[in-house]
Amino acid sequence: MTSVTELLAELLLMPFIAFVVGLAMVLMYRKIAARLQRRIGPPLLQPIYDIVKLYGKETQISHGLIHDIGLVMAVGGYVAAEIFLPVPGMDGIADKGGIITLSYVLMVPSLGLALGVGQCANPNGSIGISRALTAMLAYDIPFIIVVFGVATHYQSTSLVGMIEYQQIHQWGIFEMPLLAVAGLFALQGMMGKQPFEIYVAPAEIATGPMVEMSGKYMGGLFVMQTFQLYTAGVLYTSLFLGGGANWFEFLVKIFIVVAIPMSVALVFPRYRTEDMVRIMWKWPVMVALIGIAFVL
Amino acid sequence: MSVLDDLLLFTALASVAIIVLRRFAFISKFSVVVYVLATVLLIKMSALGYGGEAVYSSFTVNVLGQVLQWRFDALSWFFALITLVVALFTALFMSGAWGDKYRKEHSKEAYGLLQVALILNVLSMLVLLASGDLLSLFIGWELVSWASFMMMALNPDKVARKAAIKYIVYAMAGAMAILMAIAMTYNMTGSLDYVQVMQGMAQLNNSQIAVLVSLYAIGFGIKMGVIPFHLWQATAYAETPGAGAVFMGAISARMGLYALILVIVQIIGLTRVAAIEIPYTFLDMQNALAWVGALTTIIPTYIALKQNDARYLLAWHGVGQGGYMLLGVMIADSIGTAGGIMHVFNYATYQAALFMTVTAVIYRTGTSNFSKLGGLVTQMPLTFMVMVVSIIGLAGIPPMNGFVSKWLIYRALLLDGQPLLFVAAVIGTLGTILSVYKLVHNTFLGQLRLEHQDVREAPLSMLIPMLGLAIIIFATGVMPGVVLDWVAAAQIAIGIAPVEHNLGGIELVQGGLNMIWVTGVMFYGFAVGAIIFYFLGGKSKHIHQYDNYAGGHFLTSKVRYHYSNHFYAGLMHLIGGWYRNIFIKLEYALVSLVSFMSQLSENFYRSSQPAMLVAAIVMLALWYIMSADGSAPVLVQGLQGGMSK
Repeated sequence: MTSVTELLAELLLMPFIAFVVGLAMVLMYRKIAARLQRRIGPPLLQPIYDIVKLYGKETQISHGLIHDIGLVMAVGGYVAAEIFLPVPGMDGIADKGGIITLSYVLMVPSLGLALGVGQCANPNGSIGISRALTAMLAYDIPFIIVVFGVATHYQSTSLVGMIEYQQIHQWGIFEMPLLAVAGLFALQGMMGKQPFEIYVAPAEIATGPMVEMSGKYMGGLFVMQTFQLYTAGVLYTSLFLGGGANWFEFLVKIFIVVAIPMSVALVFPRYRTEDMVRIMWKWPVMVALIGIAFVL
Repeated sequence: MSVLDDLLLFTALASVAIIVLRRFAFISKFSVVVYVLATVLLIKMSALGYGGEAVYSSFTVNVLGQVLQWRFDALSWFFALITLVVALFTALFMSGAWGDKYRKEHSKEAYGLLQVALILNVLSMLVLLASGDLLSLFIGWELVSWASFMMMALNPDKVARKAAIKYIVYAMAGAMAILMAIAMTYNMTGSLDYVQVMQGMAQLNNSQIAVLVSLYAIGFGIKMGVIPFHLWQATAYAETPGAGAVFMGAISARMGLYALILVIVQIIGLTRVAAIEIPYTFLDMQNALAWVGALTTIIPTYIALKQNDARYLLAWHGVGQGGYMLLGVMIADSIGTAGGIMHVFNYATYQAALFMTVTAVIYRTGTSNFSKLGGLVTQMPLTFMVMVVSIIGLAGIPPMNGFVSKWLIYRALLLDGQPLLFVAAVIGTLGTILSVYKLVHNTFLGQLRLEHQDVREAPLSMLIPMLGLAIIIFATGVMPGVVLDWVAAAQIAIGIAPVEHNLGGIELVQGGLNMIWVTGVMFYGFAVGAIIFYFLGGKSKHIHQYDNYAGGHFLTSKVRYHYSNHFYAGLMHLIGGWYRNIFIKLEYALVSLVSFMSQLSENFYRSSQPAMLVAAIVMLALWYIMSADGSAPVLVQGLQGGMSK
């Protein structure tokens, strides 16, 4: 059992670390994009400037109570999820959840965002949500097959247990290479980056969930994105790369994990929703099922 | 007299009283009192829920040497508790404003009949749950079928009547299968008493067990609406008058699951079922039944996704959720069975709440058609809140109770090493999330219609049961141990190792679940989210919903600016072609076949050759007697065997 100070430290520090690391990941994404496009890219503190700017805006438009609560659920759901993700030295509370619980806690932010956008009464936003939920259906099926394979392999649903196993034996990626590949593919969809970013539609003004979001609502989504990147990196690292024995190793791993889909994203155009579903249900599912056959 | 006698007698007398007094205005209050008292009587037996001895009724009937008896064990008690609690909430729901409106719109008699149908359903379910042998089980089964039919037939609408007739045809077919199975059981084991049949089963060979299991599974499966018998249920339940739909949708079809657990799990035993290999496949019979459950979660859930009416969407989900229960029970370890049985409770709470919210919307707006709704959250915020809590339960997302039972089923599938069933269960869950968002978005979110500007919150008499159920959904989600106690007792009663649990959930070495922690962390997360949102940044300003981005156009009340039609267009573009109505076509083919055969025989009998027909029947009868070759027919053999014991 963890002591009260440890507990408080985990409750406060884990989301905070996730936020800071997530900000760095956003910066990394922008830097990678800039280098690939032969630009210099933004300065070090640009993500922070962005958040301060969005929260500090004078005009903050709310479309009603559910719009606000949706944002609270979206950010809050991720804050909770970060506490269930074990990091070096902090895994007391994470042991209470496990991978199945975590996968479902991760649906809470999507649900919150969906409710918030629905309240905005803008059909363009609703279309974005209908696409986002369809995308979730697309990438969650290969992801859940991967989770099944991994949990069967380690004979556990506890992320802490999985990491311990990997640190004693060897990394999951060497024991389950096919599942690792399928997992990376699913991760690409989960992060909402190209070629699977039609539901975010960041480049269009009039489509996607963000159409009625401004000021701190947009800021909330920005915070959510930092958490999203961090979660994707840590989850994959815990499942396949043996977590981290210390913080340095851990951070290197999660940044590399996140950098791969980002680099892929920047050289691809966009798939339509149904094509995304098709490709997700075909290749990663096939690879993951073959991977499971090896595990069983 | 035992408490069970009291309960059954009380309910029977109450039914008579309600039938007599149905036209009086006080009947709605009276029925609430009846359900409260019945629940109190049931709670008197609550030792059953914590591993107490079975309670026997002192009333028995002797028929042809068979003793008909009634008893309650932990499993019956668990189902009876759900039945009575749902009935109580339903009675509360219809006692106030909804009942008054129903009286005005239809008649006093119609409302009275609804109350009569409700109490008759409750009575027949209690009789079924209390059955102590296969014959009394069959009697209870038939009573439940006809009581459900009465409830469905109360809606004078043509669609509803047709659905009710369709239901009773299905139900009778199922009853015939069960009757046949019971006759065969009697034949083979020489008894109808549960304990004696259980002992007799040990002597049977695998092919006999296979025939029995198939017949029982078909009979009980029809009531549950499993694939391929799922066509009758959704329309029948959706078209039942509002409050009736709440009750029927929440518990009625679960009687099939009860009987299935009783006969196939407890009496026949899943180890026997698992020993039967199905030829030409890799499956054994237990796995096949699990797959029936898995397909039942997927297919009806994706049919629900396509519905454009809230009642139908929910009713289809009801069919789909039944699949999870069957799947859980068929995994046959302590965790999976616990998940399956617990899901009955969880499902009843959120399905009742969901049907209540939809009925409240119909009460205020007169429709449940998605194309005619939208934006009601500003008008009916509490109803919206109840719906959100319930859909989180239905979708199986923490911290509501639906998550716990689904978690148990997933966990059992993981431990059992069943990847495809696991994926099937998850596909069902994801489809549920998609369609419940469609439900809440198209009813409560988006643009408010002009004609709904003056809609008010649902009346208090409807809100109280709704909020009560929402509290139960949340509380049993945070503290699943309360329900798991009863589930564990029911597991002992059916001869399965009870699930090891504590108040917060399951303790397992390889990763358990503690909902108190999960909920605590989630609410901590929401608190942090709220602080970030409300204390950081500028103050937000609420604006009118027409003050919206519309690509430069001005929005007025004349512009319908709401996305509800063809909601998952992208997905349907891909999977739309997979809806081929195969089962509807199959059903149609069957109907055509039967009507063709009946016309043929009618022609033969009436116009062509009556004398030939009589001659043919006589010949057949003679052949049957001759071929018996002196030895007595099979049925009599069975009887003799039974007597010699």
